[in-house]
Amino acid sequence: MTADQPISVTCTVNGETQTLEVGAGETLLQTLRRRLWLTGTKEGCLEGECGACTVLIDGAPVASCIQSAAAVDGRDIRTIEGLSDGERLSPLQQAFLDHAAVQCGFCIPGMLMTLTALLEQQASPSREEVETALAGNTCRCTGYQQMVDAAMTAAGRERA
Amino acid sequence: MRFYRAHSIDEALELLSEWGEDGCLLAGGTDLMAQYGRGEIAPGALIHIEGIEQLSIISSGTRTQIGALTSHRELAADAEIAAGHPALASAAGLVGGWQTQAAGSLGGNICNASPAADLAPPLLVADAHVTLTSKSGERRLALNEFFMDRRATARRPDELLTVIGLEPLPPGSAECYLKLGRRGAMDVAIVGLAVRLSLAGDGAIKAARVAVCSVAATPRRVPEVEAALTGTRIEPDALAEAGRALAEAASPIDDARGTASYRRRVLPGLLERAVMQCGEEIGR
Repeated sequence: MTADQPISVTCTVNGETQTLEVGAGETLLQTLRRRLWLTGTKEGCLEGECGACTVLIDGAPVASCIQSAAAVDGRDIRTIEGLSDGERLSPLQQAFLDHAAVQCGFCIPGMLMTLTALLEQQASPSREEVETALAGNTCRCTGYQQMVDAAMTAAGRERA
Repeated sequence: MRFYRAHSIDEALELLSEWGEDGCLLAGGTDLMAQYGRGEIAPGALIHIEGIEQLSIISSGTRTQIGALTSHRELAADAEIAAGHPALASAAGLVGGWQTQAAGSLGGNICNASPAADLAPPLLVADAHVTLTSKSGERRLALNEFFMDRRATARRPDELLTVIGLEPLPPGSAECYLKLGRRGAMDVAIVGLAVRLSLAGDGAIKAARVAVCSVAATPRRVPEVEAALTGTRIEPDALAEAGRALAEAASPIDDARGTASYRRRVLPGLLERAVMQCGEEIGR
């Protein structure tokens, strides 16, 4: 990557405008973790298979480990760090705690970002729609049920 | 490596002619960035084309025209695609997870020419043609002539795939795409199969188109099976005969996802299910 010609990127990250010099082959995951120290986004498979690195680009979940950083010029990025309002968790984050949906925790930032996108696009999804939305997010502790329960609670479809 | 942002087709073509084989087109990057990360490719330049708005337009008519940058997610959600190309819409919803569907484009799926490209069988049964544009002009090519070999296409290094043209589902017809994977989602097809069927008034098969992926070096139509089905009725003997023709025509390989003999064995059953499903839909 040392031979990469740097290129300037301006985008918003969690509501703040950022102008950065990134490498031509740099991934958005590298930019977030190494340049902006937003280490909540996790590095899993590095192949776009596991979903641990999911962030939202213009509201859509994307695997940041295979997303070109130079390609996000002008776009709106949201990461796990942007979900809570200071100490106050988002309703979805709170529901994850209430349902004990977190085991080892590694997949959780990606899960939360995908589900945040789903609830923004569809205020009241069915269980099946929640499960389909999570198809690209892998949890090796296999605690999917509690996560789906949490999403249903956050959507107001089921009580905690 | 250098990085360029092309904002128009002309800009992209200029960069392509300048960089030739050393230039690599970047759309959603779901394949390309993974290959780059694994060190499988080392291009001199990435030419980013997601900013070219003309390339994500869908228009319907005698032939549906789909811009190369249309994402899988858009294909799966578009009402016109759902009506005219239900097999394509369903295949787009089976590619990877939401993340891959949101970023990955139709043109990228075709140009990467994976033997397992899910969108290819539905495109092939819709008689897809691709439009390739370069500084020296424009040419149209049938999709089955575009796929040359595993990960190899007829696209010249100076050409940009701009539009895919398709024949919408005619009245009295139905089509579907069936994918066999190990999981329901997020999986590369062990076998994928698309069927487009038209029935005559008496219930005989008037026209059949069958295409498969993951059972040869490229996704392909299977004329032997189409011929075996045409003129028959949807009944066990005819389906068994067509299934045998399909297993014979396939040239699958052993890989991490399945063996060649497994693939051959599941093909007839998948064909039968697809034909029955189309038949039921037309009957409705």
